[in-house]
Amino acid sequence: MKQPVTSRQQILDSIRAATPTAAKDASQLAEAYADLPRAYVGHGSLSAQARVELMIQRLREYDAEVVECTPAKLADTITAQLAASGRHLFVAPPGTPNEWMVTSAWKITGLEWTIDHGLPIDEHEIERAEGVVTSATCGIADSGTIVLHHTATEGRRKLTLLPDYYLCILRASQIVETLPEYFSRCQPPPALATYISGPSATADIEMTRIKGVHGPRILVVIVVRDN
Amino acid sequence: MSHLRPGRVSLDPRFAPPFPEAALIMLRNPQLRKNVGHAIDVIQAKRGKLVVEKTDWQALRSAASAIRFHVLDNLSAYLEQFETRCIAAGGHVHWAADAAEARQIILDLLRQENATEVIKIKTMTSAEIQLNSFLQAAGVSVYETDLAEIILQLGDEDPSHIVVPALHINRSQVREIFARTMNLKNLTDDPKELTNAARTYLRQKFLTVPTAISGANFLVAETGTVAVVESEGNGRMCLTLPQTMISLVGIEKVLPRFQDLEVMLQLLARSATGERINPYTSLWSGVTPGDGPQNFHVVLLDNGRSSILAKTKERQTLKCIRCAACMNTCPVYRQTGGHAYGSVYPGPIGAILTPQLMQMKHAQSLPYASSLCGACYEVCPVKINIPEVLLELRSQVVNQERKQAGRFFDLMYLGLRIANLIFATAWGFHAAQRIGRIGLRFFTRKDGWIHALPSLGAKWTQTRDLRGLPKQTFHQWWAERVKVKK
Repeated sequence: MKQPVTSRQQILDSIRAATPTAAKDASQLAEAYADLPRAYVGHGSLSAQARVELMIQRLREYDAEVVECTPAKLADTITAQLAASGRHLFVAPPGTPNEWMVTSAWKITGLEWTIDHGLPIDEHEIERAEGVVTSATCGIADSGTIVLHHTATEGRRKLTLLPDYYLCILRASQIVETLPEYFSRCQPPPALATYISGPSATADIEMTRIKGVHGPRILVVIVVRDN
Repeated sequence: MSHLRPGRVSLDPRFAPPFPEAALIMLRNPQLRKNVGHAIDVIQAKRGKLVVEKTDWQALRSAASAIRFHVLDNLSAYLEQFETRCIAAGGHVHWAADAAEARQIILDLLRQENATEVIKIKTMTSAEIQLNSFLQAAGVSVYETDLAEIILQLGDEDPSHIVVPALHINRSQVREIFARTMNLKNLTDDPKELTNAARTYLRQKFLTVPTAISGANFLVAETGTVAVVESEGNGRMCLTLPQTMISLVGIEKVLPRFQDLEVMLQLLARSATGERINPYTSLWSGVTPGDGPQNFHVVLLDNGRSSILAKTKERQTLKCIRCAACMNTCPVYRQTGGHAYGSVYPGPIGAILTPQLMQMKHAQSLPYASSLCGACYEVCPVKINIPEVLLELRSQVVNQERKQAGRFFDLMYLGLRIANLIFATAWGFHAAQRIGRIGLRFFTRKDGWIHALPSLGAKWTQTRDLRGLPKQTFHQWWAERVKVKK
């Protein structure tokens, strides 16, 4: 593709002319960057227990349903949640542990699992699905945020978007207190990331908060007490 | 824009009436003022609670301000770094010097895809370059997907706020628009039902239209990442379902490193909507095989920004992260709403951004659309000293006017020059006070107020009363007080 080279050059030239104090080279730039003030809270001060409690409280404030369980009870807890949802067609990313699917399929009559292998044909299955189950990369307690880096157990981006019901498995050991704590774990930064803080919402009509515009309308989080 | 309905003003600064004229139209619309007032009250109450809870708020503001200044100081280096990383990750980067070039680049990209339809995430930058009307005229159907933008698009209304653009429209007005345009006769004005109607209306579009246009809240130079912050999920739909994505972004939106998002994301949602964080944040670099659009284009838009960069006091305007906290807190915006500003960027930030992005002659009145109370500076998450820029722009307006032919005999300038001569000496000043007291006595009512003045003075008393001059001046009072003591 032919780039409009002239505009690029023109814009960069006028920027350079406007910024005579710009760093001369990469090391000078890095130095100036390192000198930027960062007096805000980096690491939180809560105990591990309080951190998890805060995460759960925030999720509930967002009207998400939160269930806790031990690692040993996880497959059973997933099954119980899926049964309670009243839905039968579920999708899951390719890295989903077999045990989760086998246990639930065995116990709930009519339950169907589709694994999203990332093929174009899977897309119709995702849209048809009534719910989705995935893991997460991180939980940020301060803002009640679920972080997805779209790994094999978290699925591609549309997987957790199209179905109306989203069951997310979050391990207590993955929960940090502050946003900066999460960012300090991002070395190297992910190519893809989605931060989910409660179900999709709008307040565009008279600032009245309405749950579920386009994303899943129901968010259920299982917090696995693994620490 | 010649087909405007009565009570409506153009948002193109070239055609919009001066602010005082447009403001008067809005002030005479009680429904609009009620709707705007309600929305602002709700946002302000939520923001207040969440800012107080954040003990490191000022430290975050300082960090954000420093990061944004650092970026502007080194903008060319960071833009080039972003370009390199984005291309390495499979994206394409285009540079647009002005609005016309940006529109053409986007249309050419759409033509390559044979696109006849496009879905859009709310983006201020596209409103700035009037992209929608251009694409429609070129035969491309444009579908906005943000709920507020749908309300505006279907109702043929204009945005009045940069975060909640339909805040001037209430539920019964939304019901009327949806019932008429979606042909839903039995629709009620329950916001939940209205939101559902929009969901159904858009679902098919999301699943079938293969091309999308977005803006970006941030670009990250280090990683070539683009960040889109939203609430509804329409952004995630547009970012993941189509085959082609075009992101139109102002050149100032870049951040040095991925980690800098930790500062911006904490400030943005609290300032914008009064939430700890927005429901959905999407970050991506270039193209990911098997996930989302496989053709990805970033259009970097200058459109006057590099010329703002060159000016010392005005440069800070470019720190803006478009949170709208300044308009939510502004006593002027609260009364007039957004349309009075005659620009897609209303409120205090609009009052300084519009005259700088456009030629000043198109927005002469905007630097005066403020009481200079400073509330905007106090809430700004990146510490833009808006009053300082307003004053700078006012002095430019005055300098420009002074040079205009015939200005020498203009009544106001003549009056100011005479005042300058009189007030330069103490005896002149005192004489003027005495004469003024005698002259104004005639207009002062029993309540001590002047309600109406003739000729030029009427410009003041048309909109507010003037306190009559007191019986004695401070100097006289002081001199008498000293005498009595002795």
